[in-house]
Parts: sequence; structure tokens; C-alpha cells
Amino acid sequence: MLKIEGLTKHFGGLAAVSDLDVSIGPGETVGLIGPNGAGKTTVFNLVTGFLRPTKGRVVFEGKDITTKKPHYLAGKGIVRTFQATNIFPDFTVLKNIVFAHYLRPRISFWETVCHTQSSRRKEAEILQRSHKILELVGLEPVAGTTAGTLAHGYKRLLGIAIALAAEPKLLLLDEPFSGMNAEEVGTTMQLIDRLEQRGLTILLIEHNMRAAMNLCQRIVVLNFGKKIAEGSPEDIRENKEVIQAYLGAGEVIA
Amino acid sequence: MNKRILIWILSYGILTVFPFLIPLFITGPYVTHILILTVMNIILASSLRLINLSGQLSLAHGGMMTIGAYTSTLLVVKLGLSSWVALLLAGLLAAVIAGLVGFPFVRLKGIYFAIVTIFLTAMVTLMAQQWRSLTSGSYGIYNIPRPDPIVIPGILNITFTSSVNCYYLVLVIMLVSLIMLYAIEHSRIGLTFRGIQQSDSLAESVGVNTAGLKVLAFSIGCFFAGITGGFYSQYIMAIAPDTFGFLFTVYILIYMTVGGSGKFIGPILGAFILTILPEVMRPLKQFQPFFFAGVLMLVIFLMPEGIVGLPGRLKTIAGRLFKEQQERA
Amino acid sequence: MDISTLLQSILNGFSSAGIYILVALGLTLVLSIMNIVQLAHGEIYMIGAYGVYYITTSLGLNFFLALVISTLLMGGLGIVLERLCFRPLRGQFDRAAIASIGLILILQNVVLSIAGGDPRSYMSPFTGVLKILGVAISWDRLSIVLFGFGLVAALFLFIRMTKTGQAMLAISQDRDGAALQGINIDRISMAAMFLGCALAAIAGALVGAIFSVSPTMGGFALMKGIAVIILGGLGSIPGAVVGGLIIGLIDGIMPILTTTHIAGLIGFGAIIIILLFRPQGISGHE
Ligand SMILES: Nc1ncnc2c1ncn2[C@@H]1O[C@H](COP(=O)(O)OP(=O)(O)OP(=O)(O)O)[C@@H](O)[C@H]1O
Ligand SMILES: [Mg+2]
Repeated sequence: MLKIEGLTKHFGGLAAVSDLDVSIGPGETVGLIGPNGAGKTTVFNLVTGFLRPTKGRVVFEGKDITTKKPHYLAGKGIVRTFQATNIFPDFTVLKNIVFAHYLRPRISFWETVCHTQSSRRKEAEILQRSHKILELVGLEPVAGTTAGTLAHGYKRLLGIAIALAAEPKLLLLDEPFSGMNAEEVGTTMQLIDRLEQRGLTILLIEHNMRAAMNLCQRIVVLNFGKKIAEGSPEDIRENKEVIQAYLGAGEVIA
Repeated sequence: MNKRILIWILSYGILTVFPFLIPLFITGPYVTHILILTVMNIILASSLRLINLSGQLSLAHGGMMTIGAYTSTLLVVKLGLSSWVALLLAGLLAAVIAGLVGFPFVRLKGIYFAIVTIFLTAMVTLMAQQWRSLTSGSYGIYNIPRPDPIVIPGILNITFTSSVNCYYLVLVIMLVSLIMLYAIEHSRIGLTFRGIQQSDSLAESVGVNTAGLKVLAFSIGCFFAGITGGFYSQYIMAIAPDTFGFLFTVYILIYMTVGGSGKFIGPILGAFILTILPEVMRPLKQFQPFFFAGVLMLVIFLMPEGIVGLPGRLKTIAGRLFKEQQERA
Repeated sequence: MDISTLLQSILNGFSSAGIYILVALGLTLVLSIMNIVQLAHGEIYMIGAYGVYYITTSLGLNFFLALVISTLLMGGLGIVLERLCFRPLRGQFDRAAIASIGLILILQNVVLSIAGGDPRSYMSPFTGVLKILGVAISWDRLSIVLFGFGLVAALFLFIRMTKTGQAMLAISQDRDGAALQGINIDRISMAAMFLGCALAAIAGALVGAIFSVSPTMGGFALMKGIAVIILGGLGSIPGAVVGGLIIGLIDGIMPILTTTHIAGLIGFGAIIIILLFRPQGISGHE
């Protein structure tokens, strides 16, 4: 479904990602792990079009999408979440989700400005779908709250809900559990599980090794922009180089 | 429910009709001139707010008015077009130019966008000064005809030789503009603009072509600036390159900010108060810039939401006082 | 066209460039370090010139002393403005820009009510001409070139050699990173405003010595400064020098090749082309 070939990104002299090959099949959940500054977020930015690679290409469903813009890729079904909390803080939670239904169904400029019958019908449809998503992620009780005033864990969850509202085929989650408490991590893991069962393809960045191992069928480990290992969670756990990379970065494998 | 709709219609009806009645009570060329300026400033500040809604601070309005004014003038004077067609084309050309330069401009974020729009205004002024064969340079163009009369034989014959009729004309332009701006803001496009303002990366990630929509907002806002510039040249019957310069643009920004860019009514209030009030204190004319600057600074530092935020602020203060009293009792 | 006209116009180009660079450096320092556009920069330039005018004519001090005093005063004004006006608005670039517009109105009209609207002038200390290879070069123009580029060199040394300068460079390249490294943004912002305003004041005083001073002279300087920083790269310090040189030389040399009017347009046209293809400027980063 997604094929990353020889992907390379330089920032000035720094090679944030070098010569990376990864491929993901439909319905798979793949983890992308690595110490701080390994280049994980940069991979996301490259795949979703927020950055242009120095070299290499990205292929999605057989088409080369290397130089495409993020909004175009969202239309094709590639949607990402952000590592730093990224929501529309002045909108209510519901409006955040309504907003994220920007593409599906599409309401044209004249339809909306003239407030036509068809636009009203689509608006109603969006509202209904938005409530469904809020129920799915468990944010329905706070639907009317201004998003900026939510507790941190809820904001993170809202970030995922926004991505879901854009109806992705491939969902890229950048450290979804960061800043969540244990209970929230639990619900979010359940949510991701459910998405997996629905057949969504997921690429997941995670610091927390245990979470990654639980959720993913396959894990790719990055260090200094290079892939140092790839395999099942069990293989990765045993891998010497991975242990070294994490220990070298002063982190302990949980 | 019905009662509420009735009140709504009544209050808006009165607000709409009232400005049309003013010339019946107060007359005189000077008053009419100020009224026309007020209405123009309302259009300008409100359209500037639309651009602001998508998270961009534009200082291109002066430049766009100049483009509109010269377009309308040249089409009428050199090509003999109807003044109405010319006025519409003035707005459209401003929108097209904004659309063209908009694409490179919106790649610049935040303050950098503002800087290049300042430069655009300066550039337009310079063009108007230098392109002498077309614009007759710094002297400007005089004896521009007033808008063509609206004639329906036997029924209607409205001429615009009197300033009062020009006031009615600009009032109609304002109403149409405000209705359009309101419709856009309260449509899904308006929602999208506001989303982009809060986080353009997030909007982009769910499929919004943020660059395109920012250009759209810029272009729509500039359309109204072009129309207003065209109208002004027809009303004053003259245009010069520096009629709408940097300072003029800055004043529009001040109307919007002082009124409050958070609400639709904000720029309308700001333009109204700040155009009328200095005229009321005409004897103190030399202090007018200080008055302006003072109000501006006051709003920037003490009232982040502008005048429209004032009732809310007072309410919280009153609420606090009330609470204290209750606690004491 | 003879060789002496050409040399004279090249010199004119360099002296314009000197002024543009001084103005643009201040703008770009403040822009890149405080992330605001200080639109009252032209007013600082204008008051710097008036300072020299009053100190030389009313107090009868010599030009150089007046220049130093006026420069320091404007630097001080810069610090005051940073503390009172811009620091409370940090992170809100739009409101800071609007506040600086308020400053334009206030500063311009204060000067207008004190000094009146008529242009004033004072004697340049640099008089006479210098003859090189049979070409007469006026000292006042030459002095601007020397002053301008001397100051640019000094500024670069300052940035290279001092800790404050290094911190300025770091913030201008990567604000968040610099803050993480423990650089005191408050202190550096004050230093940037001091330097920026001082440079603007010197530029104003030098221009005032050749031409004249008036309350509205700042608008021209601001527009040229903005053109330079757009061309050179918004927020880039070396870019301001490159951009200033290009626009200064265009302004100096083009008039002898074509008419003055077209010369003005060529500079602006170059910037529009730059904007269309490389909106971040020659050396700006995205
Ligand atoms: N836009 C950028 N410009 C310059 N350097 C960048 C940019 N984005 C990332 N980098 C650098 O690239 C390297 C990889 O960064 P990246 O954010 O991809 O790491 P990461 O694996 O996501 O780390 P973390 O676990 O901290 O999120 C870092 O050294 C970072 O400083
Ligand atoms: Mg990351």
C-alpha cells in the first residue's frame, strides 16, 4: 500500500533521514521507533508532503506521490497526527470534527455561500458523522466544550479524532500517547486496536516500546536517520543493535 | 420564537434604513463628504477583516484601491465604458492581481506576509507615478465623470451630480458588500478560514488547500478595496498616485483593530466611531493624530478584543464587583 | 557618457547603499530577533537626524559629537520602546506591528509640533571634493560610503566576536533552539533594539547632512529598508548587506542609463521577480 524507497532528507549538513526503505501492506500496523532525534517525525513529514525529500520516493497505491502537497494526499487518504498537540483551540470539540470533514462530503464555494439545499443536506450529514466519531473516541460528553480548554489527554485524543474525521486509508500517528495518563493510554490503545480491526492501515511512532510492541505486527527502528532493524516485536526486543541504540541514548527498554 | 425573529428583523431594518434617512436631517456638502468617507471606511475595514479571518495581516488595501481607482478611471476616460461596468472591472482587476501575487505571498507566514503587502502598496503607488503615458504621473487625473445616471425611461432617472446621491450609492454598495462578506464568513468557507487562522498545518493535514484558500481570502478582500477605490475616484472626480498610500492603509487597519477583528460588527463600529469622532472634535484638529494613536495604543494594550470586547469586559468587572458585595453582605 | 559621470554615479550608488544597509540592518535585526516588524523605524531615523540638527544649531556642538549623542539617545529610545511597547506584545506579531504604527503617528506628530513641517538643514562637516585620477568626488558622499561600510564591518565584528553578537545570530537563525540553549531573549531583544535604532539614527543624520531633515523623511527610509530586506532575505543579516548593495547601486547607476523614473521601477521590478520565485529572498531561509 505504501512504499518508501531510498528516502533521504538533509537539513543543511545534517542527514535527518538517509536511504530509508519501508513498505507497508494494507491493513498492517507498523511501528516506527527510535531514540530522540532519530528522524521519525521527519519521515512522517516526508510521507505526508509537509517536507520534500532530498532523494528517494514515496509510492502510495502504486502511484508516485513524492512531490504532492499534504492537502492532496489527505484527499488520497493519507492523514497524519502531530507530535505537538495540534487542534483548533477556539472551536468547540464538535466543530473541530466538523471542520475535519472538509473533503468528504465536499461542499463547493457557491453551494456554501448561497446556502443551498444540497449544502444544508451535506452539513446535516457531516454533523451526524461527527457525533459518531466523538462517540467512537469517547469525546461525546465534551462535544460542546471549547477545545483549547480541554485537559491535555483529551486534546491528544481530539487530535486523533480530527485525523479520523478526514477518513484516512493510511493513518500516521505521531506519539499518540505522549502526555497521557495511564488510563488514557489504555483507552487510546483500545481505540487503535478497534481501528486496526476495521482494516485501517496504521503507521505509528512511539517512544514507549511496550505500547509499540503490543499494537504493532512489525516494527522499524531508526537511529541517526538510518534503519537499524526491522522485524516482529520479539525480534526487535532481542536485537543487540537496538538495545545499544537505546542504551546509547540513555534510555531503558521497558 | 416568532417574536425574536420579529425583533431581529425590526432592529436590522432600522439599522439599514436609518443611514438612508440621515441626509434628510443633516445636510451640507461637508457632512455628506464625511458620511461618504464613513461608509467607505466601513467597507474597507470589513473586507480587511475577511483577509484577517484567514490569519493574514494585509496592508495591501491602499494599493488595491489605487488599482481600482485607476482602472475605473481609465476605462471610463480612455475607453468610454459605462461607469458601472468600469466599477465592477475595477474590483475584479484588484482581485485578479491579488490572486496572482497572492500565491508567492502566502508562502510567507505571519509578519512576513504583512511586510510584502506593505511593499505591494508602495509598488502600486510608484507604478502610478512612473507609468506616465497611462496615468499622467504624479499630477494624477482630473475631471473624472461622476457615475452614469440610472435611467429607466418614464419611471426612473437618478443622476449622481449631487453628493447626496453619491452617498446613497455608496450606502447601497456597502449593504451589498456587508451581506456578501457576512454570507462568506458564515458559510463553510468562513469556517475554513477560521480554522486556517488557528492552525494551518492541521487544516492542511485534513485536506484543506490552505495556500489556495488564503489567496482566495486575500483576493475577495481586495475585490472590495478595488470597488471602493473606483467609487472614490468617481465621487471625488480625481485620482492621484498617493491618494491611498501607506498611511491611508494603516488607518483602515486601525479601524478594524480598534473596533475589534473578532466580530463582524467590530470593523463597522471602529470605522464609524473613528471617522465621525474626529470630526466632532474639529476645533482640536491638530491633536487628531495623537487622538488616533492614543485610542489605538489604548486598545492594543488594554482591550485585546477591541471595542466589541468592551461589554464582555464590563460584564466580568461588574460581575466581580457584584460578587464582592454579595460576599460582604 | 564619460568615465567621471560613471564613477560619480557608482559612488552615488555606494553612498545610497550605505544608507539603505544601515536602515535595513536595524529592521532586520529587530525582525529576526523579536519577530516583529518595527514600522516606526523610519521615525527613529528621522528623529536621529533632528537630534543632530538641534544639537549642532541650538547647542552649537560639533557635528561628530552631535552624531554620537543623537545616536546614543536613539539607542536609548529603542530600549525604552522595547520595554514599554514591544515586550508586552511578544509573540503577537500583528498587534506589535499595529502598535508600531501608533508609534509612527505619535513620533511624527511630536516632531511636527516641535519643529514644524518645513525642511531644515545643517552643514555637513565634509565639504569640498577629492580628486582621484582626474575625477572629482564629493567628500560628503564619500563620507557616507566610509561611514556606512565601516559600521557594517564593525557590526559584523561585533556579531563575530562578542557573546551578545553570537546570541543575536543564534536567535535570528533559530528562535526556539536558542531559547532552549538558555539565551536570554529579553536582554538580546533590548540589545537588538538599541543597535537597530542607533544605526537608523546614524543613517538619518548622514542623510540630513547632505540633504535636509523633515518630519516625513522616515517614510522613504522605511520603504527602502523594506525593499532591501525583502530582496536580501527577510530576517537575514548578510542578506541586508547584499540587498542594500544591489538596490543602492541600481538607484545610483540606472539614472545615467535611462530616466530616473524607470530606474526606480527596475529596483522594484527586481524585487517582484524575486518575490515570485523566491519569496524568502536571496539568502532567507524558509
Ligand atoms: N525543519 C527542520 N529544520 C532543521 N532541522 C530539523 C528540522 N526538522 C527536524 N530537524 C532535525 O532533524 C533531526 C530529526 O528530527 P525528528 O523530529 O525527525 O526526530 P524524531 O525522531 O521525531 O525525534 P523525537 O523523538 O524527539 O520526536 C533532529 O536532529 C532535528 O533537529
Ligand atoms: Mg518526533
